[in-house]
Amino acid sequence: MSVGFIGAGQLAFALARGFTAAGVLAAHKITASSPDTDLPTVSGLRKMGVNFTVSNKDTVKSSDVLFLAVKPPIIPFILEEVGPDIEPRHIVVSCAAGVTISSIEKKLSTFCPTPKVIRCMTNTPVIVREGATVYATGTHADVEDGKLLEQLMASVGFCTEVEEDLIDAVTGLSGSGPAYAFTALDALADGGVKMGLPRRLAVRLGAQALLGAAKMLLESEQHPGQLKDNVCSPGGATIHALHFLESGGFRSLLINAVEASCIRTRELQHLADQEEISPAAIKKTLLDKVKMESPSLSVASASKVSLFTSKSKKN
Amino acid sequence: RGAWPRVAMEASELWVGFVGAGRMAGGLVRGLLQAGKVPASNVLASAPSDKNLDAWRELGCRTTHCNLEVVHRSTLVFLATKPHILPGVLEEIRPAVGSHHIVVSLVAGVTIQTLQRLLPPWTKVLRIMPNLPCVVQAGAMVFSRGTNAGDGEAALLQSLLSSCGLCEEVPESYIDIHTGLSGSGVAYVYLFAEALAEGAVKMGMPGALASRIAAQTLLGAAKMLLETGEHPAKLRGDVCTPGGTTIYALHQLEKGALRATVMDAVEAATNRACDMAKN
Repeated sequence: MSVGFIGAGQLAFALARGFTAAGVLAAHKITASSPDTDLPTVSGLRKMGVNFTVSNKDTVKSSDVLFLAVKPPIIPFILEEVGPDIEPRHIVVSCAAGVTISSIEKKLSTFCPTPKVIRCMTNTPVIVREGATVYATGTHADVEDGKLLEQLMASVGFCTEVEEDLIDAVTGLSGSGPAYAFTALDALADGGVKMGLPRRLAVRLGAQALLGAAKMLLESEQHPGQLKDNVCSPGGATIHALHFLESGGFRSLLINAVEASCIRTRELQHLADQEEISPAAIKKTLLDKVKMESPSLSVASASKVSLFTSKSKKN
Repeated sequence: RGAWPRVAMEASELWVGFVGAGRMAGGLVRGLLQAGKVPASNVLASAPSDKNLDAWRELGCRTTHCNLEVVHRSTLVFLATKPHILPGVLEEIRPAVGSHHIVVSLVAGVTIQTLQRLLPPWTKVLRIMPNLPCVVQAGAMVFSRGTNAGDGEAALLQSLLSSCGLCEEVPESYIDIHTGLSGSGVAYVYLFAEALAEGAVKMGMPGALASRIAAQTLLGAAKMLLETGEHPAKLRGDVCTPGGTTIYALHQLEKGALRATVMDAVEAATNRACDMAKN
């Protein structure tokens, strides 16, 4: 099986690194493409032994499983460009936040009657094989196709199938989640430094504490509230600290964060469905490169492109 | 004095006295009588006026205005006066206190050390902190032993007072915490019940109905906690369907930092109890 990535940024790099480290795929069976060869991840991919090309079409031709690993506004350009090369054997996996299966299927169906589309939401820790991934299968993707993707993604962390309408919530929780954790770890380290620890040690200990706690929770039958209680000796240090967290509304801040991320994802999807996004929103250099690779994209159509089908979505 | 056997007494042989006959004492005696632990005729209570004593007589207890009489005629003596009255009362009854007596103080803020200082050195002293729902036999009580109180006395007290609710022996340092948690805690619950009902009234429910439902909700939730033994966080999670009403409401509570506020309340009451005990 060969895997291709349209896009050679953080996501492609993280997944390629994870798959190769897991031994589930050899580097030379992976192709990644991007018009922008200056990305730092491009040299990283090359070093891994991944086949790098500037031609998205080449990636499609040499892949069975095709990951769309570009930012959401770029998806329609990509689909327009590579649509003609999509064959029934391809499994198209979109990792773009807020981009629905039906929008992709509609776009591809002008080229291929029954495109196999799977929508997936993963996160950056796939790079260290501790990712959190969910996927939803499209109309023409079989159970085996889903299982194939699940096998791939399970090699780099946790992976499970969900209904598509939950994916925005997953984005809010585990998609953005690592950022919440990095913020917490930075602050914890500050706390350590304030109380006298060297920075490196503080970071190391903070990260290990969260890693260990997460591991305990995943391996335990107990409720996190119970695990918390187990750490809090009466009148001790921990309960004093927790009181501060509660006073600051720690819990509600986290709830707010997950909610905000989920709502924003939905907003972006809504915007994508409703509006026509001017190419001015996309880097000019990137657009030029895309046009170079795909002369079929006319200049006229490129000046004002609807993100998805020309039929406007009813709201 | 050494001739008295150190065994827990049979309830029917127990002569129980109350110095002070206020609400707390009344709650305890009701519990004892309801559970059939002690016949009412074995109970003697003293108070300065008849105001409180009428209710005791109605229960079938005997009453007096003389504190010394209570001590002379009882083996188990509950001290249930107001804190500022107690030193005077102890001075008064001290000559009559013997090594056969078991003295149990309900008086808030008065330490075992103080009690033992004001009573004869051989006295078996225990200190108890009950809470208001003892009155309906759903109380929460903790008690501690003094120097001369042994396993027999502790077991007797526990056995008698379990008739009024939860009764546990603890180190004396927990007593002030119990005040903050449960003594005063009852008031926090009343406040919460009131607020729940007000929320319902705002949304259109009549007040009386809302209040009854609020109370039953608290009762039911507490009962589930006690009977399932599950962690409250787990029970909370069980009620929260994804994207449902409960999680929306809980988010509001978290936004209001309810947890921290409650912790602050328990801390404030506990600290106040400690401060009052020092004075």
